[in-house]
Amino acid sequence: MRKLVVLFLMLTSICFAQEIEKDDFSNEFSTKTESFDPLSGYNRSMTSFNHYVYLNIVAPTAKGYAKVVPEVARTGISNFIDNITFPIRFVNNLLQLKFAYAFEELGRFTINSTFGLAGLMDPATKMDLEKRDEDFGQTLAFYGIGEGFHIVLPFFGPSNLRDSIGLVADGYISPLTDMSSYGYKIPNNTEKTVAIQAIKFVNHSSLNQGKYEAFTKDAIDLYSLLKDAYNQRREKEIKE
Amino acid sequence: MLKKYFILLLVSTTLLFAVKKENIEPFMVEKVNSVLSILKNKELKKEEKSSKIISIMDPVFDYTLMARLSLGKEWNSLSSEKQKEFSFLFTEVLKKSYLNKLDLYTDQKVKFLGTQEPKKNRLVVNTTLIGEKDNFDIDYKFYQKTEDEWKIYDINLVGVSIIQTYRQQFAGFLKDKSFDELLKNLDTKK
Repeated sequence: MRKLVVLFLMLTSICFAQEIEKDDFSNEFSTKTESFDPLSGYNRSMTSFNHYVYLNIVAPTAKGYAKVVPEVARTGISNFIDNITFPIRFVNNLLQLKFAYAFEELGRFTINSTFGLAGLMDPATKMDLEKRDEDFGQTLAFYGIGEGFHIVLPFFGPSNLRDSIGLVADGYISPLTDMSSYGYKIPNNTEKTVAIQAIKFVNHSSLNQGKYEAFTKDAIDLYSLLKDAYNQRREKEIKE
Repeated sequence: MLKKYFILLLVSTTLLFAVKKENIEPFMVEKVNSVLSILKNKELKKEEKSSKIISIMDPVFDYTLMARLSLGKEWNSLSSEKQKEFSFLFTEVLKKSYLNKLDLYTDQKVKFLGTQEPKKNRLVVNTTLIGEKDNFDIDYKFYQKTEDEWKIYDINLVGVSIIQTYRQQFAGFLKDKSFDELLKNLDTKK
């Protein structure tokens, strides 16, 4: 009899424990199969297109480029681009009322443009002035605007309605596009803008070789993987 | 007499493998550092590195739970054989994918940023890989399995939960394909 009672107690405690466990995790993960995705057909083909372009054109180009250009120079270019796109981060921090971050960005820009040899080096980070990435998509989210539907952009990859609008808005401020006629714009026509964006893309890939491949290698469904990873990452960036 | 020894053995082995809450961070520091030193060891072959790393990390992961969470609701509708088969394949795929990603980070340093307790029975160890240009955040998410044993049920890479991405992919796959096709697909990836 005593054995039976013990057995009963053990069984109930096991069942009970499992019950708690299940409930515990159910709100940590979600499955959004029925989310609004009017462009899914287009998005899927664009994902395959981008994947193909990345693996067969961008990655080999970046690999060759990395052989010719030493890492110090590539990091320098990357630093330069980060420094010169300071207006995007500054304006968006201000728009999101993150004044301390905006001020930090201003400090970074001042130090890196001078002591950092026109932004080629990044002494500001060593002085604990951190880069505060904010873009207009995040600013729109800050004012409560939802993401709309998912859009996969050619070359840029996963995005959504809100962030695509943000990208255009940031293009107006960015010195690396010819989208408006502010005095500090570097390119003055579309060809030059495209060339600069291509260099930026290849340079970035050369510093991150193999990462995209490792991330997508075991994909069960590439589109779902990239879409969900993008959404999760944006959610985190918006919260910060 | 023998029984006594047996119990003693049981207790001591669980003590060896069980991770307690206050020990999680130092425990992970030790694990991560030994993984890094294996990665840096140039004398080891790739397969040797893989099996050593797996033997270090294996006891900390709750693979079955990870498999269940990644499948979501679907899990409950499966027979226990199917659950076992899925768990096995998923574990293999997960390990391979983990090792693939580790391959990229050989010369980097890991910084431990501290821990968080998002709720009762949960503990997140925040780490970041210091790169030449960018840092790469990795968060190890632990849950309390038993009174004094904590295990990893998910990892966030730059804010992206790997279980969540699997869950989304499996759900997408199962929308128009069968569970057996999913098993076949996983089998090709292990």
